[in-house]
Amino acid sequence: MGQPLIQLNDLTKYFNISKTKSLHAVDGVTLTINEGETIGVVGESGCGKSTLGRTVIKLHEPTSGQIIYQGEDITNYKKSEMRKIRTDLQMIFQDPYSSINPRMCVQDLIAEPLIVNKVCKDKIEIYDKVSDLMDTVGLAQRLTGAYPHELDGGRRQRIGVARALALNPKFIVCDEPVSALDVSIQAQILNLLMDLQDERHLTYMFITHNMSVVKHISNEILVMYMGKCVEKCSSAELFKNPIHPYTKALLAAIPIPSIESRGKKNEPIKGEVTSPINPKPGCRFANRCPLATDECRGQDIPFEEISPDHYVACCKVKKEQ
Amino acid sequence: MSEPLLKVKDLEVIYKTDLETVQAVNKISFELNKGETLGLVGETGAGKTTTALAILRLLPERNARVLGGSIEFDGHSIFDITEKEMQKIRGEKISMIFQDPMTALNPVMTVGDQIAESLILHNLEGRSRDQIEKRVEEVLELVGIPASRKKEYPHQFSGGMKQRVVIAMALACNPLLLISDEPTTALDVTIQAQVLSMMTELKEKLGTAMIMITHDLGIIAETCDNVGVIYAGEIIEYGTLDDIFTGEHHHPYTVGLFGSIPNIEKDEPRLHPIEGLMPDPTALPDGCNFSPRCPHCMDICKEVNPDILVNGTHKIKCHLFDDVEGFAATEKEAE
Repeated sequence: MGQPLIQLNDLTKYFNISKTKSLHAVDGVTLTINEGETIGVVGESGCGKSTLGRTVIKLHEPTSGQIIYQGEDITNYKKSEMRKIRTDLQMIFQDPYSSINPRMCVQDLIAEPLIVNKVCKDKIEIYDKVSDLMDTVGLAQRLTGAYPHELDGGRRQRIGVARALALNPKFIVCDEPVSALDVSIQAQILNLLMDLQDERHLTYMFITHNMSVVKHISNEILVMYMGKCVEKCSSAELFKNPIHPYTKALLAAIPIPSIESRGKKNEPIKGEVTSPINPKPGCRFANRCPLATDECRGQDIPFEEISPDHYVACCKVKKEQ
Repeated sequence: MSEPLLKVKDLEVIYKTDLETVQAVNKISFELNKGETLGLVGETGAGKTTTALAILRLLPERNARVLGGSIEFDGHSIFDITEKEMQKIRGEKISMIFQDPMTALNPVMTVGDQIAESLILHNLEGRSRDQIEKRVEEVLELVGIPASRKKEYPHQFSGGMKQRVVIAMALACNPLLLISDEPTTALDVTIQAQVLSMMTELKEKLGTAMIMITHDLGIIAETCDNVGVIYAGEIIEYGTLDDIFTGEHHHPYTVGLFGSIPNIEKDEPRLHPIEGLMPDPTALPDGCNFSPRCPHCMDICKEVNPDILVNGTHKIKCHLFDDVEGFAATEKEAE
């Protein structure tokens, strides 16, 4: 077990839509991320997982709560103060087609973070570093002068990885880094990320909606539903022993590429995600939940440790235990 | 076995631009019986969607050319009939579900009107306006949308609901064949599970044949009877679900495709992806298209494009199986 690198205490991010309405994107997330580990964040679109990732590295200002990085409270850091630790906290973005500037060539794209943060003495050092980085992420040297439109999605995502690595970060938020890629390329990038983690002792927050990818890469998994944490435990435990009804439904919904499991499927859960604008108190999953009763509505459900290191927010489950 | 509903033979499609020629589909052949589901899997750019568009004769006229091959639907060749006759087939006998429900619907028409559109165009039974409205309500209920929502516009529906509307449009005329082009890619997993189980149910209820185009092997395992694996415009492996998922012999690309997905039921420390990238369809390699990436590549693979080898229901296009017992090159006789 590594040392805690980042701790979140009751982190909340609301977006104000109008004077009376606010969108509760992330609601009371408490989390410890240990050094050298990967925490997977899963959930459906709009559940606040990307907002969480962005808030952790302060690309969004949190509404309330605390972010503690290496023992220091960075919640109220000003921009200039942030800049000093920004090199440690990086992000890989979801869409390799829109997250890189189409008018810059590969070399300039990778050099950009080095130039902005003034970490190199001169041009020679910069371009040496760029070519090292290209080797690290598996981009051929002949692509130095290529523009993004000449490259496929997998290679573009490698540029995104190289840019994130350029400043030797400690912590990288990977926001759906493989969801825009084909399966065979997806596997290449996942292997790359895992190799880099071993080599450089990186810590990842891996945001995805793909359960099989998250199982593969994470030590610990956080399941989110409409801004709230519903379950958190180790990766193996989550797949062996899911407790929250939403986690169960999510796992049951994955199409499995083998024919043995055909026809054994449970009924998919009914209904859809409701609006996260001014949500009512109580369990947000209640109106889709097969176990829901009046008890679930009206009062907030605590996120409690049910067994060692296994946290669940569901009042039904506690009763059974 | 029933008479094949759709017979595609040696289909070849290219896209031509001033500078280059993209070989999108290279001699694809398959058959589909009534009520069956065929899954086509492959990566982006493998030619899955082009095949589907060719069946509907919806290829962009400006730059797409069908070089050869034939498509027979319900006993008639679709390349020999006039555009007018084709219009009668489209929507009525073959309909298509498009990938992105957000863009497939007209934002300024109510969903009811959009479903009614195909019913009005293909009004064989001489339905009156009231009867059409009734049918619209029927299909909406069929896909699990309350009929009272037919006067609403697409923006009032969520992604999963919109895809249901698109499916309702496709099913309105009771088509014989439904082509679904990545119907659930834009949806969340729990919604995807809802839509897939609904589609399987409807298919059984209405006896519609279906071509399911997807890149997700999990979806194939859940919905299809037969599977074709497409790589660089060719079907490199074809067979029943058993052949592909449990059979002993596989094309190296199929093996790579399975090795690339993290398996949720097994623990594997590392994935086994296919090295390299898909060949540029404007300059396909000599010999086997997969040879540059293939871990078992032999000398012959770089020179001769392999024949399709048949073993019962299982077909593989690979030199590795040239001498394997049970596989024989019977496809040649047709030429």
